[in-house]
Amino acid sequence: MTGNSRDDIALETLFAAGRSERPLPSGEFLDRIAASADAGAARPAPATLPVLRLAWLGRVFAASGLSGAAALGVWIGFVMPEALDALTLGGDDTVALATFLPGTDLEAILNE
Amino acid sequence: MEDNATLVAPHADEVPDTALLVAFSNGDAQAGRQLVARLGPMLFGYAARVLGDHGEAEDVVQETMLRLWKMAPDWRQGEAKVSTWAYRVTMNLCSDRLRQRQARPQVALESVAEPAADLASVVDIMTARQRSETLDAALSVLPDRQRQAVVMRHLEGFSNPEIAEIMDIGVEAVESLTARGKRALKKALYGKREELGFEDDRKQP
Repeated sequence: MTGNSRDDIALETLFAAGRSERPLPSGEFLDRIAASADAGAARPAPATLPVLRLAWLGRVFAASGLSGAAALGVWIGFVMPEALDALTLGGDDTVALATFLPGTDLEAILNE
Repeated sequence: MEDNATLVAPHADEVPDTALLVAFSNGDAQAGRQLVARLGPMLFGYAARVLGDHGEAEDVVQETMLRLWKMAPDWRQGEAKVSTWAYRVTMNLCSDRLRQRQARPQVALESVAEPAADLASVVDIMTARQRSETLDAALSVLPDRQRQAVVMRHLEGFSNPEIAEIMDIGVEAVESLTARGKRALKKALYGKREELGFEDDRKQP
């Protein structure tokens, strides 16, 4: 047997000893890492889907609110015009128009 | 040699590491604890061998696990094994520490004298503990990459393709690293022949 192959056998003997004498961590150390796992799992979840969904719904409502309200007003006026009489100022359209057009001499215009 | 597949791959009735990591990212602390139980001892054994210091090995493993917890929500299944990823992080952290150790004396391997005695006969009479300590001392003088490759191949029991994946190099490069590492180990051992008792051994009748 050559010296080199005997050296290889010696080296393999050392490796075998190294595998059997494997360095082991202390229980206290493993507990410490396990505690870090607990802390990591307990931290608040980042931007979860439900939150994103609510935000999306909020944006939808905000965008559609104005046009929705306008459409609702048109619909009420169309199907129940008599119900709006209570909201007018005694049914005087002229007064109402004059109120909505300040600075305009509506009477003078009508008299022309 | 012990096959590292038995250390890394879960048994048939065990939950895969990836599933545990996903469960952990969904808030399951118990899954995280299971990962610690699987990976902690392996990574510690590896880091302790490479660094030769248990305190530093603890620091490295702790940092590795913290990084694992941090990236758990972004883990992409099928990309890599959790253990492979963890070994890679540990390896890089060990490399960082070895680079910072400029003070550690290195044996000038090229200047080591030719063998003057038979290594095998000396190793034969050592106890298992002495053999392990001798190996650690010889490993400590190897260059970083050779040391990590030798530890993974001959102590952790990884296959060359597994080491190639961890080290992000080709299989041939792994074979070259481990071969050079073993030659350097032998030279280092012969360089320590006085400490190891080669001379005393030869004087014995």
